[in-house]
Amino acid sequence: MATDSSSSVSDRIVSRGTVEDPIFEITETSVTYDDGETCVLEDVTVSIDRHEILGIVGESGSGKSMFASALLDAIPDPGVLSGDIRYHPPDGPPVDLLELTDEERRQFRWEEVSMVFQGAMSSFNPTMKIGAHFEETLKAHDKHVSEGLEFARELLENLYLEPERVLDAYPHELSGGMQQRALIALSMVLDPAVLVMDEPTAALDLLMQRSILTLLDRLQRTYDLTIVFITHDLPLVASLADRMAIIYAFQFAEIGPRDEIIGNAAHPYTRALLNATPNVDAPLDEMQPIEGEGPAPVSVPSGCRFEPRCPLATEECRTTDPPLAAVDRDRTSHRSACHHPATAREEIRLNFDEANDELESASPVEPSESAVETRAEQTSETPLLSLDDVAVHFTEEQGLTERFTKDPTVVRAVDGVSLDIHEQDLVCLLGESGCGKTTLGKTLIGLQRPTDGSIEYRGQDIWEAKDGDGEIPYDEIRSALQIIHQDPGSALNPNRRIADILSESLRHTHPNIGRNERRRRMHSLLERIGMAPADEFLDRYPHQLSGGEKQRVALARALLMNPDAILADEAISAVDVSLRIEIMDLMLELQSEFETSFLFVSHDLSNARYFAEHGDGRIAVMYLGEIVEIGSAERLIHDPRHPYTEVLRWATPDLELDSMGAGDPPLREVDVPDPIDPPSGCRFHTRCPVAREACREQRPNLRRIDEGDGKAACFREDPNHEYWDSDPLDGAVEQPEEFAGD
Amino acid sequence: MNYYLKRTAQIPLTILAVATLTFGLIRLLPGGPFTQLRLELLQQGVPAEQVDTRIEALQNIRPDAPLWQQYLDYLIGVAQLDLGQSISLNEPVIDVLARSLPWTVFLVVTSTILMFVVGVVIGALQAYWEGSRFDRLTSGGSIFLMSVPYYIFAVIFLFILAFQLQLFPTGNAVDRGVDASLSLAYFSSVLHHAALPILAFTISGIGSTALNMRGNGIQVLGKEYVEVARLRGLSNNRIATRYVARNAILPMYTGLLLLIGFRLGGTVVLEEIFSYPGLGYYMIQAVNANDYPLMMGCFLVITVTLVVGVYIADLTYGLIDPRISAGDSDEY
Amino acid sequence: MSTEPDSAAEGIDWRSEASNVEMSRRDQLSELYEQKIRVPAAVAWSDSRTRLGLLIISVYLFMALVDVLGLWRDPSPNQAERFLGPFENMQYPLGTTNSGVDLLALIIDSTPFILLMVLAGGVWATTLAVAVGTLSGYKGGTVDTVITAISDFFMAIPGLPLVIVLAIALSPENPILLGVVLTINYWAGLGRSIRSQVLSIREASYVEASRTMGTSTPRIITKDVLPNIMPYVMVNFVLAARYTIFAAVGLYFIGVLPYSGQNWGVTLSNAYYQGGLFSMQALHWLLVPIIAIVGLAFGLILLSQGMDRIFNPRVRTRLTGESESVTEDTDTSTTEMI
Repeated sequence: MATDSSSSVSDRIVSRGTVEDPIFEITETSVTYDDGETCVLEDVTVSIDRHEILGIVGESGSGKSMFASALLDAIPDPGVLSGDIRYHPPDGPPVDLLELTDEERRQFRWEEVSMVFQGAMSSFNPTMKIGAHFEETLKAHDKHVSEGLEFARELLENLYLEPERVLDAYPHELSGGMQQRALIALSMVLDPAVLVMDEPTAALDLLMQRSILTLLDRLQRTYDLTIVFITHDLPLVASLADRMAIIYAFQFAEIGPRDEIIGNAAHPYTRALLNATPNVDAPLDEMQPIEGEGPAPVSVPSGCRFEPRCPLATEECRTTDPPLAAVDRDRTSHRSACHHPATAREEIRLNFDEANDELESASPVEPSESAVETRAEQTSETPLLSLDDVAVHFTEEQGLTERFTKDPTVVRAVDGVSLDIHEQDLVCLLGESGCGKTTLGKTLIGLQRPTDGSIEYRGQDIWEAKDGDGEIPYDEIRSALQIIHQDPGSALNPNRRIADILSESLRHTHPNIGRNERRRRMHSLLERIGMAPADEFLDRYPHQLSGGEKQRVALARALLMNPDAILADEAISAVDVSLRIEIMDLMLELQSEFETSFLFVSHDLSNARYFAEHGDGRIAVMYLGEIVEIGSAERLIHDPRHPYTEVLRWATPDLELDSMGAGDPPLREVDVPDPIDPPSGCRFHTRCPVAREACREQRPNLRRIDEGDGKAACFREDPNHEYWDSDPLDGAVEQPEEFAGD
Repeated sequence: MNYYLKRTAQIPLTILAVATLTFGLIRLLPGGPFTQLRLELLQQGVPAEQVDTRIEALQNIRPDAPLWQQYLDYLIGVAQLDLGQSISLNEPVIDVLARSLPWTVFLVVTSTILMFVVGVVIGALQAYWEGSRFDRLTSGGSIFLMSVPYYIFAVIFLFILAFQLQLFPTGNAVDRGVDASLSLAYFSSVLHHAALPILAFTISGIGSTALNMRGNGIQVLGKEYVEVARLRGLSNNRIATRYVARNAILPMYTGLLLLIGFRLGGTVVLEEIFSYPGLGYYMIQAVNANDYPLMMGCFLVITVTLVVGVYIADLTYGLIDPRISAGDSDEY
Repeated sequence: MSTEPDSAAEGIDWRSEASNVEMSRRDQLSELYEQKIRVPAAVAWSDSRTRLGLLIISVYLFMALVDVLGLWRDPSPNQAERFLGPFENMQYPLGTTNSGVDLLALIIDSTPFILLMVLAGGVWATTLAVAVGTLSGYKGGTVDTVITAISDFFMAIPGLPLVIVLAIALSPENPILLGVVLTINYWAGLGRSIRSQVLSIREASYVEASRTMGTSTPRIITKDVLPNIMPYVMVNFVLAARYTIFAAVGLYFIGVLPYSGQNWGVTLSNAYYQGGLFSMQALHWLLVPIIAIVGLAFGLILLSQGMDRIFNPRVRTRLTGESESVTEDTDTSTTEMI
């Protein structure tokens, strides 16, 4: 794929010079496997500026991780790295990475450029303490160990960790978020100039991701770092990056200043990606999934790589591979690999721009009579599912002797929750990991027995029915409440064909039908959910399906039970971003077709919002086993009442340029308290930015809020509460009004 | 810490259960526990009416007492290390056991450690050079070693090295006439006698150990933390020991517990072949002589040795795997 | 948001009322054959180790058949010259013992006995282990505690000494009973590791999905749990079989198992104790039973090496020429590379 159009060659040469003080100059660099047969990074030419944060976005399998490895010359065997990667140290002459001796390369890594991987749990040796990792790294690079550890402590402290505790812990003793931050500290312990981060936050939930990003931003300024941040999550990195690049099919599709990429992208793929991202500000009907999937390394199109999926493709796109060239002649910093950047900007409108326009013109949202409210009042009949003061406590496993020696440790997963789900209702449970949202979901569909309180299905206590004394037979309840799991990989039995998996549902609903009819039913449903050719899919094993397809099969399996309610437990978080909207749309469409209720569990406000607003439902915000706020999506987004909802709102990345990089999290602590020993009073008081003495002592109840739908559990909703007269807690804001106006 | 407490509390319980089993098994044996003894005593001319008293004096159990009484007597005897009198050797069973136990432990411990070390080294090398000629050849060799039982090695070694070439002794633990002392002569004699049994017992276990280690090693080598350790510039030595070896050996450790059981049981055949005076050898001697007290004494002590061995292995497991002391990976 | 009309294919929609077209018997049978016999056989045969293993095992099966049909002479003293070497006289291809017994006849004569014993030992140990492990892993609670305590106890007893005591008490001469006695506590350790596998499968999403659908526990165990531990069970079946033969021959060798006729272990013992050790002349007498034992074990282990593939759906689809989803292929390959 050499550059052949003569005009663009000159463009490229011009565009090389855009970075003033490059720390990395990468020229014509490729990574190949199988003796050059398979190319997983192809002729990449790009420069990285000193002290910048470069965000690189790409789908899984686009070659973005290869780019990260190339910066450390650490391509996994048997890959071959070729080209020219020039590194300019802060002082001294530039070095060519590919010419280093083994020893020079060993020193280069981690002293000059270091790397943070995605899974912190798998980046630490499980049998060694965290501190030992620091020590051995210092020793391996002949550094002064105690001085180095002193620096490590400083780093850990800057990352909101207790240095002594973390250094003395084994990896498994820390939470995922803590491990990830400890890993960042480990990567910086030799004070490198460049930090390459490959999906460093993907395994964490949104709030932790955003908190880490804020800390990174601070670290970058404190230690003059250059950060290369690689992710699949465009809005996430947009809040942090100075410049952004989009990788598509093993090449850079577009690169430029952050504001240009977000507000004025010139590549159809970038624009489509922007539009496909669930986003709190975008008008909902504008969100568009991208059809199709990125090409595999063996079947890269000969023309433009995006051509098969591009709505604007022309004959030229089919035949000629566009070079990465400056979009506008006068501004060489923004480059794009597209023949028709002008058309792309014209034809593909960015939906969040319109959102901004609309917001300006529209009068402030007046949350009054929402659909939720009316529905709740209309249905005086028995709700489909009704939780009454439900608690779920888990006692941790204990041995015989432990039972005598100490009190059992009890994890309070869910505490005192009451909630009604109506027929064809839609409720999103929103919260951080460990807040009990999945447990609550499973309690709702009768999979988890509550330790206290009751759960009723159409007025019939589910667990009484299970024990044999109920008016509605348990079998009927059981098949009425279904589930779709988070991980499509383990949702389907790997040993059974799709036909067998789906037949299992039909065995329950239509026990007497023959094989042919069974097959025809499955066939028609698969076609309905967009899996064609259905016959072929029926005969496949799960490992022959992609993640999105597996999730569709799981949905089909649940639907074939003719359920009254389906619990979707983070059902889309494992699916590629560009496919999420498609699957959510499908679920919503089928909801009305099947007249079923949906319980949607998520940690991502924008997904929950998409769901709740489209399906006319509610969002329930959970914190440490309690529901702290519930209401319509609109009201929660535009007028959050509980400080925690506000935090989640903050954590949800948006593409609005003005609000980007807007300071620290509205939290006093990054980590969630231990659910074994939850804080007294309001459980959020340890992290709440506006907590006062009263919050430490009293526990707020959910109360109907003024001027809006739903309920919130915060004293600030009660103008006469003693909260207003008590002192703010350590670190909390003195004047809550300032915070509210923020 | 509770884990250790729990583990320690299990020991006496298990020993009690084993003693009960032994007591029950004696009564399963044809003719009951005392037939042979009674016969012998009568032949020695002991008057019939005194036989029961003599048996009681010798074996600590009253043959005419009710079963529960006998059971209690037996347990008290075990607790006082009194396991009765050996009929064929005419000395207290406990003396025979005390004499033979060290030899058995010596055989099992030495050969198991050797087997583990050699197997782990070979398997680790295979994992590092996965797919090489060495790997393929050794894998084939390991599969072959797995299909040869240890006593076949014993027979072959004995045939070639002891009988044909006369390089090694064909029996006993130490030369006659060499006294137990801290002398060089004593030690070399011990090693000379133990060399073949240990060799046979070691070789047969290497195959499966190496194959296991190879599989685990390949898995660990693919882990991200090994990659990160390389990027951090750690020496190959440190990565090989602290990262790869440690994490690859850990899952094998639980298998080792089972293995100790099999190997301790295997000494019965091994010691018999080499006439090596350990517990297994005396057990077979007792079986052939219908010497039930000695036989059951051997059985009891072999089992208790296993219980203690597994206990020690369990405790050391806690030392190398930090996750166990946290109590969350108890038996998964 | 649009509720478009159902694209009802072929007249039957997924929600229509049930009809009564039954599947024909013949179809069911042919499907059963395809799924349970032809495909697994093709998978097994594709692996060279399994092929060699099967070949070796079939030699032993053939010998057993020869004995059952009486196609070779029975062993008896002085039926030939003493100490005939192997291949010296093709009437007695493996040579003779010190009392002039045909060694080949000795080996063939006890093959059915050994095979039956091995099978019984393997089946008993693995079946019990699977039952116990699945029950305790899937049920949990008190059942689990009790079973774990019992198997802990059995694991604390070294196998061979227990077998020796039991052999004296029971005098097992029947091959099936003998196989069971030999593996009397083998199941405990195996059951323990099956339990921990079942524990993790129990938590898998697809099992929870089946539970949510109201599928019965026996069906979940047979459809969701067992197929996923089958590779492990099969490998361990072979290992248990290997243990059985090793233990049996070892105990016959030292003469603590009762026997009526001769078998491989007894032959080995005779060769060893009746002069085989001292002269090269009798070397073959020692070697023939050794080869018989090692050969069977070798065949079994080769078989086990390829066994887990039979139950692996990935191998299955690759070999029967079904379309492999391209996307998934590249997905895995790229994640491996990147």
